[in-house]
Amino acid sequence: MMAAADILELSLTDLSRFIAARELSSLETVNAALTRLELLDDKLNAFITVLQEQALAEAKKADEEIARGSYRGPLHGVPVSIKDMFATKGVLTTGGSKILKEWIPETDSALVERLRAAGAIIIGKTNLDEFGHGGTSTLSHFGPVHNPWDVERIAGGSSGGSAAAVAAGIGPLSYGTETGSSVRRPASYCGITGFKPTFGIISRHGSFRGAWSQDHVGLFARSSKDITLGLDPVAGFDARDPASVHQEKPAYAAWLDANVKGLRVGVLRRFLEGVNPEVKRAFDAALKVLASAGCEIVELEIPELRYAAMTSMMTSSAESAGVNRRWFREHYHDFVPHVARGLAVGMTITASEYLTVQRARHRIREALRAVYEKVDIIASPTTARVAPLLSEGLKGSGDDTRHASTNHSNLLRFPSMLGLPGCSLPCGLNPEGLPIGLQLVGAWFADQTVLNAAFAYQSATGWHKRRPVLD
Amino acid sequence: MYNFKTVLALKENGMKENDKVAHRLALLEGVSLSTADLESIASEIEDLERVVTELEEFGQGIPWISLQVQPPGKKF
Repeated sequence: MMAAADILELSLTDLSRFIAARELSSLETVNAALTRLELLDDKLNAFITVLQEQALAEAKKADEEIARGSYRGPLHGVPVSIKDMFATKGVLTTGGSKILKEWIPETDSALVERLRAAGAIIIGKTNLDEFGHGGTSTLSHFGPVHNPWDVERIAGGSSGGSAAAVAAGIGPLSYGTETGSSVRRPASYCGITGFKPTFGIISRHGSFRGAWSQDHVGLFARSSKDITLGLDPVAGFDARDPASVHQEKPAYAAWLDANVKGLRVGVLRRFLEGVNPEVKRAFDAALKVLASAGCEIVELEIPELRYAAMTSMMTSSAESAGVNRRWFREHYHDFVPHVARGLAVGMTITASEYLTVQRARHRIREALRAVYEKVDIIASPTTARVAPLLSEGLKGSGDDTRHASTNHSNLLRFPSMLGLPGCSLPCGLNPEGLPIGLQLVGAWFADQTVLNAAFAYQSATGWHKRRPVLD
Repeated sequence: MYNFKTVLALKENGMKENDKVAHRLALLEGVSLSTADLESIASEIEDLERVVTELEEFGQGIPWISLQVQPPGKKF
């Protein structure tokens, strides 16, 4: 029998293999994850709802099914968590908001349907910025999420609870959402791998809207290999999401390939001027690893990206106000104050202004389309610095979404604004032992290319194997 | 609220900065805001107007708006 601590150290890849071979039971695994959750969540505040009894009952059922030979695939019997943005039938679903603090949906979101069909065991629902409006995971009715690497620091947001859970070993996989940078940023701050696929790859049906044209579902794991195992069962067409794309049967895991010889990796030096020197050093070292793997590093200039952060921010602001128009009128004072003020500003954007912003967005889109004729991937540091202290408040991230500039936040925000596949993976630790993230962004529907590049990097390095000390 | 006289005055003198902010705040549909909220929102609105002006300049000559939704039926 394997010790609980050892079970939690296993990658999703190994865990799946052991459960399939019945060398490890789902019940032992889920129990280990729940015990760790109970031990750590007072420090992290990563979870809003814990599904202890339900998860244990489902784990027993999974073990019985597997014993009967009805194995459903790599997520069968595996403990996973989901951001509290996804509707779960019969289970509290809050969006991190006081407004829905007692809402129990009658149906599952598409993500939850697919996870259940794959046999995954949902152990809990993770904390977040209210309805995904934020980048810190401090704007929750349920209090801030703390970073497992240093609990005085933010986990990043808005999917901070999911990132903190995976980083802390509370299950090998978690699902979140991203409108601006809400998967990649917390993945970077928490030292794990986060992936947001191309717009339309994973259905958003049954999740709260942040901004229609920028919302994505994404996922967190320790490695890109584990990401592919979590992506395959949840990707695919769903007519209930108008953005959903007809796809071949997802097989990202099967096509994972570390051979990236000849892959053209673009770098935007001009946008790295304000990046912390330690982060920049780690990024340069990561580029050398990719070059050693056979990638060609290409210096790029994309002046249009100077407008990316402000375009993304304006789009998100106007669409969020549209989404929340009714609640804004009826529940203004129930929103987290900063979120309420943001919605108020969005309410004042006129239709013609919104469309003006969409013209700017199209110009940036066309610039990127041309660039992806020349390169396969755009690489950058995911964030300009390591996780800020909670005491720095909302300004801690150093992002600038208000000015046309070469501020790094343009690099963080363009993938979601344009629907491009993006990954953040650990590429170093600063002298204080805090994680640094490498961002890889591919062309539309080049999700496999991004995952392969991440896999190549992780095959040559060990940063994704580092863990925070929490006990 | 803007009455006929105000509209005439606006037509004659142009809309002042304060009027512009008030016009936008009127879009908030009667939600009662604290003074702190009002100050914060008014300041953000001023910033918003500058951003829109910059983006308008940047997007000049672009014949299309950006659409994320993919053509239905196309397989990838």
